This record gives sequence, C-alpha cells and structure tokens, in this order.
Amino acid sequence: MIGTILFLAFIVMLLAAVPIAVALGVAGIIAVVLAGQSMLSVPTNVYTGIAKYPLIAIPMFVLVGSVFDRTGVALRLVRFATAIVGAGRGALATVSVLVAMVIGGISGSGPATSAAVGQVVTRSMIADGYPRSFIAATVGAAAATDILIPPSIAFIIYAVLVPGVSVPAIFAAGMFPGILAGFAIMVPILIISWFKNFGGQSRGTVDSPGVWEAFKDAFWGLMAPVVILGGMRIGAFTPTEAAVMAVAYGLFIGFFVYRTLTMRDVYEMLVEAGELSAVILIVVALASVFAWSTSTLGIVQPIASWIVGLGLGEFGTIALLMIVLIFVGMFLDGVSIFLILLPVLIPIANSYHWDLTWFGVILTMKIAIGQFTPPLAVNLMVSCRIAQVPMESTIPWVFWMIIAMFGALAAVVYWPGIALWLPRMLGY
Amino acid sequence: MGADYDPTATGPVPKTRVPLKLEEVAIAAGMAGIALITFANVVARYLTDVSLAFTEEYSVVLMVVVAILGTSLALAGGRHIRIGYFVDERSAPTRKTMELIAMGLTIICFGAIAIYGAQLTWDEYRFEVLSPGLGEPQWIYTGTLPLLSLVVIARAIGRAIRIWRGEAA
Repeated sequence: MIGTILFLAFIVMLLAAVPIAVALGVAGIIAVVLAGQSMLSVPTNVYTGIAKYPLIAIPMFVLVGSVFDRTGVALRLVRFATAIVGAGRGALATVSVLVAMVIGGISGSGPATSAAVGQVVTRSMIADGYPRSFIAATVGAAAATDILIPPSIAFIIYAVLVPGVSVPAIFAAGMFPGILAGFAIMVPILIISWFKNFGGQSRGTVDSPGVWEAFKDAFWGLMAPVVILGGMRIGAFTPTEAAVMAVAYGLFIGFFVYRTLTMRDVYEMLVEAGELSAVILIVVALASVFAWSTSTLGIVQPIASWIVGLGLGEFGTIALLMIVLIFVGMFLDGVSIFLILLPVLIPIANSYHWDLTWFGVILTMKIAIGQFTPPLAVNLMVSCRIAQVPMESTIPWVFWMIIAMFGALAAVVYWPGIALWLPRMLGY
Repeated sequence: MGADYDPTATGPVPKTRVPLKLEEVAIAAGMAGIALITFANVVARYLTDVSLAFTEEYSVVLMVVVAILGTSLALAGGRHIRIGYFVDERSAPTRKTMELIAMGLTIICFGAIAIYGAQLTWDEYRFEVLSPGLGEPQWIYTGTLPLLSLVVIARAIGRAIRIWRGEAA
C-alpha cells in the first residue's frame, strides 16, 4: 500500500514537471512518514548518498568535459577526420559519429557531447547537402555512444551502487560495446546517405588543411582519452585522479598549445561544471531517500522474485528488461534509472548468475537507446535545437539508427566477450 | 535518457535580489579545491613518501557543498532535470501553477532536510561523533547539509516570487 503511494506520488510529480530530484525526495519523505520511520533517516540518506569518495570522479570528469569543450578540441577533431575521410556521400556524417566517439572518450555526459558535436558539424553538414533533420538525428544518436565509451557518469554510478564492480573494470567493459554501437549507427547513416544522395556537395567549404597539418592540430585532443584511460590502466591513478590529470592536461593545451583559454574561462568552467555535477549529485542524494524507503518497505524483493518466477528463461528475461528499460529510459536519465531500479535488477541478475559488469554494460546500452528515442530524448532535443528542426522530423532517420543500436545490443547480449574481454585482458 | 541536464538551454539569467555570484564563487572555489587536493595527492605520492590519502575526507565534504550550492544555482535558473513534455505546451496560467507547485515541493523537500538535518547535527554534536577518517567532529561536516539547504529554500522562495509576478517562465 505505502509502496503503491510511493511510486504513484513519484510518477505524478514526474509528469507534472517537478524536478526529478525533488520528486524522488518528496516521494521518499512521504513513504518515511507513512511507514512511521524516523525522519532522521532523510538527512542521513541524503548525506551518505553523496558523501562517497568514488563519486568525486563525477564532478572531476564533468570538469574535464568543460575544459576540453572550451579548448576547441571538437573543431580540430572534425578537421582531422574530414582530412582523412574526404567529403563524399555520407562522409561528413561518418565524421560526426567518429568525433562524437572520441569526445565520448573525454566527456562523460551524452547531452554535452551532443551539444559539442552539433555546434561544430551542423553548419558544414548543411552546406554539404544534408537535410537538417538528418543532421540532428545523426548527432543525437552518435552522442548516445558517449555513456558507453569511458569515462561515463552512468558507469561510475553503477560501480558505486553494485558491490563487486569496480569503476576501471566497467569503464574497460564499455569500450568495445561503445565502439560497436558507434559503428552500428554508421551503417544506416551510410546507406541512407548513399541512396538519398546526402553529402559531398560542397567540396572546399570545409576548410581542409593537409592530413598531416590537421593531425598535428588534433593530436593533443586525441591524446586526452589516452591520458585518462592509460593512467588508470597502468594503475598510476584512481578514476578521480585520472580525471584531475586530464583537467591539468586540458588546461595545459588550452593555455600553451591552442592558446584558446583565459583565466575568465577557468572560472566559468569551474562554475559550469560545478552546477552540472550538482544537478546529477542531487538526484543521487534524494534518490537515496527513495531507494531507502523502497528497500525498508520490503517491496523490492517480491518484484524481483516475481520477475524471475515468470519462467521466461535467461533471454526472455533480458528481452523483458530491455523493453522495460528502454521505455523507462525514454522518461528518466540513466542516473535516476540506476538508483531506482538497480535494487530490483541486481537480485534478478544474481539469480541467473550473470556477470554484473556485463549486466551494467547492457543496461547502459538500453539507456543509451532511450537517450535518442523520441519524443522525450534530451540528446535529440539538443541536436534539434542546434539544427533548428522539430524533433518529429528526425523520426524517419532516427528509427533506423535505433534498430542498428539494437543490433549492437543484441550482439553484446549474445557474446558477452565483447564487453568482458578487455577488462579480463587488463586484469581487473 | 528522457530527461537530462540540457547544456544548451540557456534561459535568461534571472534577476535575483541576492546576487547568484555568491553561489558561483563558492562553487568555483569548491571545485578548484577538490581538483587541487586530488592533484596534490598524486604529486605527493610520486615525489615524496608522504601520503595525503586522509585528505579524501575534505574532498568529500567539498563535493557535498558544491552539490547543494549547485542545486541552489540551478534552481534559481530553472535548470534542474525535469520532464517538461506534458507541461511546457500548456497555457501560461497552467504552467505558472505547475511551477509554483514544483517550488512548493522543493521547499518541503529541503525544509525536511534542513529541520531533520539540524537535529541530526545536534545529535552528533551531543554524542561527540568523530569522522571515520581524520577523527574530526562529524557535526561540522553534517552541519553543512541543513545550513546550505536554507540557501536552496531561499532561492526556491525567490523563484516562486518571480514566477508569481510573471518574471520567470
């Protein structure tokens, strides 16, 4: 009964555009009051929910994203990729996917990647003969690979919540599925561009320096993911330390190599990254109250047992979870989904003896699909705003990209090695 | 993700009576503090035998401070993660009502954190609870929560007034 009120109150507030964090907090408080629990559990859960050392990686990786955003790395990456790929049909669209994947290796947030890539490629893609709706679809879908390619905020949250999964291990596990997802969405992009004759119509408008020149310019940006992942790999840094090293590296490039940064920029990006991190962390904090209520009310275990008891078998259960998560993923962000649903999902995974690192990767892939599924997808909202088209117009294109990413997801479900080979290789 | 933080949704900067600069400066200092502490930690580990691992505790508290003050800043500008789909296309009076309700709920939420957080802090002070890492009095850390929640409440009231007067959409 109290459980039903808890979820109903949450859903009503959610649909009424109450900030998600507040909706989680208020629903949790209502449940605490109704169940006659001590109100002291509210501040206790808020504080212990965020006062965790591994979570410090979140503000620091958000800061890395801000720093590299302002150094102008995205533009240089686009120039370099264009210099290699050329400017034929579908070429620039492919470039934007590749660049989104590299930016994904620097930043940890999907909408931020969507904005960074969209701002850089949209104008030249229009000049090159792509319809605006197709550009928005491409950028939105490409940016969804961001939460799979490490660093990823969703992975940090998953590793903090699930015992036995470390941040470096799940970062490594997301690498190949992320790359696979990126290549998978390139397939419909290239086929559509080929048949509809998109792109390759403006040779020369994209200022194209020589490959070598472009490489030298982009090299510093390309090294950023190497600094982040390499530093963690050799055990030199914890994830948080790797992020701070990447900030130092980004500031070095910005001040001394590209000379694009000023002290004013540093202040502004500290504020910007602080606010964005806060918006994520307050969801974590207040969702902890919500999650505590659901677990003390004892409504979690019955749901998990019920789903396992349906007798759908392993693949049937994964298919069911897939549908549920993509649906929920259309409404909620990855962080909230993990905080609300993991208490139910982990017992299910355990009862089938699934590898929890692999499970985290496929859950995140589902959330990534939800990130660019209209009508609520924020990645698309951002790319559509930049391309100045309504979201509905992207549906005929984005549909095929969703199918393609489903293909990538099915592959990772069927061959867990795609995710698990790298962390095993690295000895996590 | 359906709803998520949208970095391109830059609405007009709200005209607040108390300048948002207060939060901004504190957030920038907090973020810089975390980064510098972590950086110093790495340097100390590789260049000297000194371990600064105990400083983790300070970083965590700074993160809590950044989280609550950032919440306050994002609240003043209406930039929190929310599902606007079912509300944003409605008539202006409906949106106004919904926004006011949202602010009311925000005040209730952070009000509960402030009141019971203060009680929690008082308990920790009375029972002289020490922090697990450095053995500092825990109440100093926990106390940041109710104290800064008051800032969030103040911003929520400020925004509610602006919405009421029709200054903020």
